[in-house]
Amino acid sequence: MAQSASIPAIEAARAGEGAAEATERVPWYIWGGVVAVTSAVVGAHWDISWHQSIGRDTFWTPAHIAIYLCGVLAGICSAYLILSTTWGGSRAAWEASVKIWGFRGPLGAFICAWGGIAMLVSAPYDDWWHNAYGLDVKILSPPHLVLGLGLGAVRLGFLILILGCMNRARDEARRKWVWLFLYVGALFVVGVLILIMEHSARSLMHTARFYLLVATAVPFVLATIGRASGFRWASTVLAGVYTALLMLLVWILPLFSAEPKLGPVYQQVTRFIPPEFPLLILAPAVALDWLWPRLGGWNKWLQSAVTGPVFVASFLAVQWPFASFLMLPLARNWFFGAHYFGYFIEPSSAYAQHQFLPAEPPGEFWTVMAWALGGAIVTTRLGLGLGEWMRRIRR
Amino acid sequence: MRLRIPLLLALAATAGAAHVGSPDVFHEGNAGPYRLLVTIRPPVVIPGVAEIEIRSSSSGVRELRITPLPMTGVGAKFAPTPDLTRRSIQDPQYFTGSFWMMAFGSWQVRIQADGAQGKGELSVPVPALAFRTEGMQMSLGAALVGLMIFLSLGAVSIVAAGAREGQLEPGVAPAAAQFRSGRRAAAATAVVVAAILYLGNRWWNAEAGQYARYIYKPLQISPSLEADGRLLLRIQDPGWFAARRIDDFIPDHGHLMHLFLIRLPEMERMWHLHPVQIESGLFAHELPALPAGRYQVFADIVHKSGLGETMAAELDLPPLAGKPLTGDDSTGEAPPLSKADHSSTVARLAGGRMVWERDAGPLRTKRATWFRFRVDDNKGAPAKDLELYMGMPGHAAFVRADRSVFAHLHPSGSVPMAALGLTQPENPHAGHAMEAALPPVVSFPYGFPQPGDYRIFVQIKRAGRVETAAFDARVEN
Repeated sequence: MAQSASIPAIEAARAGEGAAEATERVPWYIWGGVVAVTSAVVGAHWDISWHQSIGRDTFWTPAHIAIYLCGVLAGICSAYLILSTTWGGSRAAWEASVKIWGFRGPLGAFICAWGGIAMLVSAPYDDWWHNAYGLDVKILSPPHLVLGLGLGAVRLGFLILILGCMNRARDEARRKWVWLFLYVGALFVVGVLILIMEHSARSLMHTARFYLLVATAVPFVLATIGRASGFRWASTVLAGVYTALLMLLVWILPLFSAEPKLGPVYQQVTRFIPPEFPLLILAPAVALDWLWPRLGGWNKWLQSAVTGPVFVASFLAVQWPFASFLMLPLARNWFFGAHYFGYFIEPSSAYAQHQFLPAEPPGEFWTVMAWALGGAIVTTRLGLGLGEWMRRIRR
Repeated sequence: MRLRIPLLLALAATAGAAHVGSPDVFHEGNAGPYRLLVTIRPPVVIPGVAEIEIRSSSSGVRELRITPLPMTGVGAKFAPTPDLTRRSIQDPQYFTGSFWMMAFGSWQVRIQADGAQGKGELSVPVPALAFRTEGMQMSLGAALVGLMIFLSLGAVSIVAAGAREGQLEPGVAPAAAQFRSGRRAAAATAVVVAAILYLGNRWWNAEAGQYARYIYKPLQISPSLEADGRLLLRIQDPGWFAARRIDDFIPDHGHLMHLFLIRLPEMERMWHLHPVQIESGLFAHELPALPAGRYQVFADIVHKSGLGETMAAELDLPPLAGKPLTGDDSTGEAPPLSKADHSSTVARLAGGRMVWERDAGPLRTKRATWFRFRVDDNKGAPAKDLELYMGMPGHAAFVRADRSVFAHLHPSGSVPMAALGLTQPENPHAGHAMEAALPPVVSFPYGFPQPGDYRIFVQIKRAGRVETAAFDARVEN
């Protein structure tokens, strides 16, 4: 570790004690953060369902309010932390802070504030976008990416806030911080998979591009959170929370009535359309949790070189046949939800016909699969590095 | 080898779908027992929100519900939930609302009326076309750029602070090594942020470019004169939606094309002709006697989807002996535009006169107005010999003096009759008048899209002969 200039020893000891005491109980702003990130993720899925079922929305739909709540809570929590640390006079808070532009506060609070401002910026940008190019009927657009970055930053900010406390906490206190950290980390997995949702529909699950996307997005989060938490079964927990949340959405959303308020209407919709059945990332997650302790002393690149193929192979082994199953009448029930279609899905489309879109030609297929393998290796390496760095966060 | 004289001057087509520069839809029709005048202002971007205004000339309407849906295809089968229009407090027979148009093409708005006389339904065709991409206001652009710089600097500073102090135990001040680490992280983040901004800009440009391809481009028409005096009209698609064709036109009151030839620059003569299709995308017509000069061409067609388009072009013609007008072809004369009298409400006809029953006060833009024209016989009494002209009591062409606006109207409004027929497939005469005896007044619902000077050509048929009157209007904002 790099050399540091120490303040007088007594003050350092006091500061350490203060910080440790502060981690004994979970403060209100952390609970606020947990509510914020949960609200944003549920709100995002609710909003997508709204657009598939009702279509038309306003600024004040419940789904939008759930998303805004994330920004509002992020703003309140980060403003409180930064202002109270800068001018509040708490020595413990001051000493566990970083300095940016003359302000002091926990690193996570600044990231939250950045995320909240990015969310605010996305609103007029998105409004202009609709006026210029029409209402977007897709998830991935530049203003939505700004909103997504904002939401991601809020999530990361709270994650770092929790991490700062977790890394300063002693044994018993640390355990509850670890669970909070894993929970918020799991919502990262959900958020990342929302971003690629349009390109990971079941009709695409026999294309190599689908595997490239998942293999690039998911191992990074699993490696980062897993390594930062130091928890043996971290990836399993992350994938488990994602799977449980998505399954709950598949089962709960259709319990509520909804009717399209926009045309063209190609499918008769009477209930909220849920997301698709969760991707089976639980299988590779368990495989990685089993694998990683066995690679303990290895160089990170070597660990990644093993992790990437294990992730791709285990995910492919379960998702490919499961996708075939999802196309069968057996999957068209409340449990798997393969019979739900948004009102705008054309009946003649492969998706509505329960068919796969054609896979890439063999040469291209295997090239893209090789990219998926490479992507999984590189993003795992990045995740392991970031996770190691996060593990040492104290502020 | 046939001699073909190249006469095309310009393909000066401007946006407007079934009309030129006049995107609003005006339609009068019956929703069961209720007579409704409907004005629809389509959005300029798709998906976007259209505004609708409905005035009932029948009493007893309690509520009006509106439902947008595609004119044809699978999407026409299932309708979204109807929306209730807002009723004016001051004028209980005036209703307003809005609806989303989510996809390009030919749409209809289904209006369901309910009231003292029971229920009724009326469908009004409306095109959904993107006409332009909105620019960004300077103030918003400046604010967004400022926030982008703020967020970029913020991201760099946060990462630098994290690298500098994030891993220090509480109370420990950063040393030189941490400061170096912070600077390195800041530099790396600046590169990443710059890369994100660069890629984001490319993405934005790609999205804008993709959208620009959807902006409506009307079909283009190239007129040329054959040695035998035939006018050839070749239609070309400048590229818009691959689904648009040039061989799917349907007859609009009996003709695949309605061609308006207006002599330039004074607009003192006009011809309403009906070329025939001789092959896919090629129409021809035996021209009548025409003086030499430059002419404005407006050609109306309707696709089988119900989408109407007006093609515009100019051409120069030599003096033509021509053939006599036949069938539904007609012509009319007017004073030169330079001598237009914007206050005149009387136009001379061969057998009498036509009087524009115009309200006092100036004409305003964007206001749905009834343009009523009364036909008097030679003795000044209301004429009793009006006949249907192509199934309609009258036809009107509203042309702005600079020709940036052209609208071909019927008493039922601006909707092509062929499109109206698609909304009521069970009634092949939808929108057409069927009465044997016609009243002496013919009226057209319309609203001027922009201020300026307009010439209005009104055509009626009396005793087997088509007569054309011309009026001039000055329109204020």
